[in-house]
Amino acid sequence: MAGGDLEILKGISLEIKSGESVAIIGASGSGKSTLLGLLAGLDEASEGRVVIGDTDLSELDEDGRALFRGQQIGFVFQSFQLLPALTALENVMLPLELNGHDDAREQAEYFLDRVELSERSHHYPRQMSGGEQQRVAIARAFAARPAILFADEPTGNLDTRTGSHIIELLFELNREQGATLVLVTHDNNLADLCERRIRLEAGALVAE
Amino acid sequence: MSMTATRMLAREWRGGELGVLVAALVLAVAVVSGISAFTTRLQTALEQESHRFLAADRVVRSSRPMPDQWLQEAQGYDLKQATTLTFPSMVFAGDENMRLASVKAVSDLYPLRGSLTYSEEPFGTVMPATQGPKRGEVWLDSRLFPLLEVEVGDYVEVGEGRFVVKQAARTEPDQSAGLFSYGPRVLMHYDDIPLTGVVQPGSRVRYRQLYAGDEEALENFVEWLEPQMEDTQRLIDVNQGQPGIGSALGRAESFLLLAGSLGVVLAGVAIALAARRFSERHNDYVAIMKSLGATSGSVNRLYGSSLLLLGITATIVGCLAGWGMQALFFDMFADQMPVQPGPSGIRPYAIGAATALTCLLSFAWPPLRRLAQASPLRVLRRDMPSESRRTLTDYAIGLFAVTLLMLWYSGDWQLTFAVIAGLAITVVLGMMLAMTLLRGGRLVGMSAGSIWRLALAGLQRRGTANALQVVIFAMAIMLLLVLVLIRTSLIDEWQTQLPPDTPNHFMVNIAPEEVQGVDQMLRGENIPSEPLFPMIRGRIMAVNGVELPRTDEEEEGRRQREVNFTWSDIVPSQNVLTQGEWWAADSEEALVSVEVEFAQRMGMELGDTISFLIGSAPVEAKVSSIRELDWQSFRPNFFLVFPPRFLAPYPATFMTSFHLGAQNKVFLNQFIRTFPTVTVIEMDVVVEQLRSIVTQVSSAIELVLGVIIAAGSLVLVAGVQSSVDSRMQESSILRALGAHRRLILGGLLIEFAALGLFAGLLATIAAEFSVFVLQEYVMEMQYAPSPWIWPLGPLAGMLLIGALGVFSCRSVVSSSPVTLLREL
Repeated sequence: MAGGDLEILKGISLEIKSGESVAIIGASGSGKSTLLGLLAGLDEASEGRVVIGDTDLSELDEDGRALFRGQQIGFVFQSFQLLPALTALENVMLPLELNGHDDAREQAEYFLDRVELSERSHHYPRQMSGGEQQRVAIARAFAARPAILFADEPTGNLDTRTGSHIIELLFELNREQGATLVLVTHDNNLADLCERRIRLEAGALVAE
Repeated sequence: MSMTATRMLAREWRGGELGVLVAALVLAVAVVSGISAFTTRLQTALEQESHRFLAADRVVRSSRPMPDQWLQEAQGYDLKQATTLTFPSMVFAGDENMRLASVKAVSDLYPLRGSLTYSEEPFGTVMPATQGPKRGEVWLDSRLFPLLEVEVGDYVEVGEGRFVVKQAARTEPDQSAGLFSYGPRVLMHYDDIPLTGVVQPGSRVRYRQLYAGDEEALENFVEWLEPQMEDTQRLIDVNQGQPGIGSALGRAESFLLLAGSLGVVLAGVAIALAARRFSERHNDYVAIMKSLGATSGSVNRLYGSSLLLLGITATIVGCLAGWGMQALFFDMFADQMPVQPGPSGIRPYAIGAATALTCLLSFAWPPLRRLAQASPLRVLRRDMPSESRRTLTDYAIGLFAVTLLMLWYSGDWQLTFAVIAGLAITVVLGMMLAMTLLRGGRLVGMSAGSIWRLALAGLQRRGTANALQVVIFAMAIMLLLVLVLIRTSLIDEWQTQLPPDTPNHFMVNIAPEEVQGVDQMLRGENIPSEPLFPMIRGRIMAVNGVELPRTDEEEEGRRQREVNFTWSDIVPSQNVLTQGEWWAADSEEALVSVEVEFAQRMGMELGDTISFLIGSAPVEAKVSSIRELDWQSFRPNFFLVFPPRFLAPYPATFMTSFHLGAQNKVFLNQFIRTFPTVTVIEMDVVVEQLRSIVTQVSSAIELVLGVIIAAGSLVLVAGVQSSVDSRMQESSILRALGAHRRLILGGLLIEFAALGLFAGLLATIAAEFSVFVLQEYVMEMQYAPSPWIWPLGPLAGMLLIGALGVFSCRSVVSSSPVTLLREL
């Protein structure tokens, strides 16, 4: 995959099975986030293909990929990415509303309860701690019951204790839903929790 | 996608994201609809006012009786109608006293517009009459009472008819025409004319048929009437001559339209700024929504319908506010308004709605539309370039929309040009000056103390953004300065036009041997008066030997006509020579100085020879100068002025004008007894009315100025806010690194104050230019530079922007850097 003169990822061939949990590890700048962006259909590859199930993402335009993401993919980000103008509950409801679920509110309440934040459902992100915000983000990611969950450094902005609690939650919900989990991290302990590890070095895959 | 725009807006509103955008929209609609409704209603009022001067909506005038069939036909159109007949006649009281009077016979409904006034005794308290004289009675001009030695209840004779004197006739709405023509007024009923037996075929009489009613019916009626009219019959409508009040209100109206247009521009800029900030903040939101499955179509639909909803809400709220604003204006001067304000109709509110729509489409939609293109990848990488950056096309669309809107709103391309050109100067100069000065700032900053270094480094680091901000601040300050300057000169001009001792009475027909006596009597009573002017009645016959058309009808235009001449050895005060030269004081030459508009109307030019008839003596004179004069000065003014020695052989009477306070009015009784042949014309009611209108319109102008200043402040707030995010980020990093409060606030203050200073300077330059164009070409006023704004503009900009900037960023020092950094 080449972007102009600058090649960020090169010669990557990778298959992830349904229900599998995979960790992509590597140092800063190794291309982890770029790979995640491509796999999740957030970005378009200049060369090569990304196929999820029967869908070839490289044949879809941005709108097509957006619809696909809405139906199939959930995200947990390092910087939480909650909308500051929405309450915790509304943030969780957002993907459900975007995908036209009639029971958005009930679903959102259920998942907020699962991350033990039902007491704080009407609080805004700025009124919450980092760990709480990430729990809201996890509730949001699972609320739409995605087939694949992408997590980008989910503990990167959190202290160790809060981080491990978040990871527990993440894996617990993932097991329940039987979703495929793709996790980007440079934390080896976190990566060890996954069934498979993929290491990136300077844009290329290296054997583990 | 089921997330509705309503819910998104409700959430945004709660989050405080929409404040400035909504305020700007509401203000735009309110200013435009309010001012437009106000001027529309004022215009209708003005029209009524001028109808009042006709005493009707349409008048047909003739020197011969007109068919009664016309009146019957008018009934079919549902029009109100009245007839009047004016003729000169001797009025007798007993065997001794008689007097030439101007008799006016009026039918029951007269006047159809405006009202007659009377007083129970001569020169007594003026009261409006509900109807004219009844059959068998007459109302006499105040000065006829001493002249005829009669009192209320006595009898007088007009021709063969005998009538009881009911009260004093004071004013008629249509009196202004022919003030100087005949003697004092006698009002009687139209049906009493046959009793007098004085109106015979060939008498010097003037018949008038008056019509009033619905404008459409009037037009239909006129369409029917015109083919039947003969050459000697003339139809008059309001456009023939506006009263003096018209010009004062006309300028006020221009001012209000200008204010409204500036309001539109300011609100447009505020909307653009608010929308830009809104879309910048929403770039991340859209990226998140897209990562969660929102397509660009659904993002567009969401923001489009939000904007529509916002527009509709703002239009409703803005129209209500606009309605309230104009109602408040009229409420303020309900007591002094000579007429009821007319209806405003739906148009002002339609303009308000169109403004909201245009502002949203041209200012808010372009950056929001680009939101849909935001890359979802931003959720992973926040350093990606923002999609909301404005392109040149955006600015062009905005400028075009604002120009069209102003043009539609003011209907005046000169006004639009003056403002847009001023804005263009601001933008061009602003970009150049700001870039240069800001670059200069860096050099100074290198060697300055640490607060200064911080501030100047900040200025230079955000060079382009700052230049843009300077331009925006400058635009707002410029528009406010323009408005303040125009307002000040307008009010000044009105005040000098109507000083407290404005002459409010005229005296005409003073015999040469009475001149000294009249002068002494006025001085004796300490009554300030103008000098006594000689007045000679003459008839203009020909220009350069070519006879002018002859006609009996009193039309404006090129024809043989009677005019009052005067003589003077100097240029009369407040007259300005525009062509030619004044004569020597002892000149005996046959010269004449002509008033400029009169010369145009009569087709006279410098050097032409004019032939006159004074009495039965033919006279010729050469046009040696052309003069301009102010017809609203309430001083004796003359179309034609001659050298004193040239007119000396001809019989003259004299006239003057003077100021008489209400408490001194009884002086007139004594004066008329002493000088029974002198005619006194009372204008005090008119002058007072004019003065009160000017006062009230001035306060309306102040109020509008207040509203526009609010709009301007909004732009300043929006402008400051647009840069708060990045400044806050930097400041919180500085705080985290241990910078103390004073350093950060001091740096911000210097940075904003410097921007304000540049902006104020630019604004002053551009405002001076705009005011020049506006005064010279739009308001028809004399342009004078305003040196006082040169220090004021930059200083005000510096203080205002400095304070606003520090105020907007104050939270950076009051909350912990961690919270700030986390939020950003």
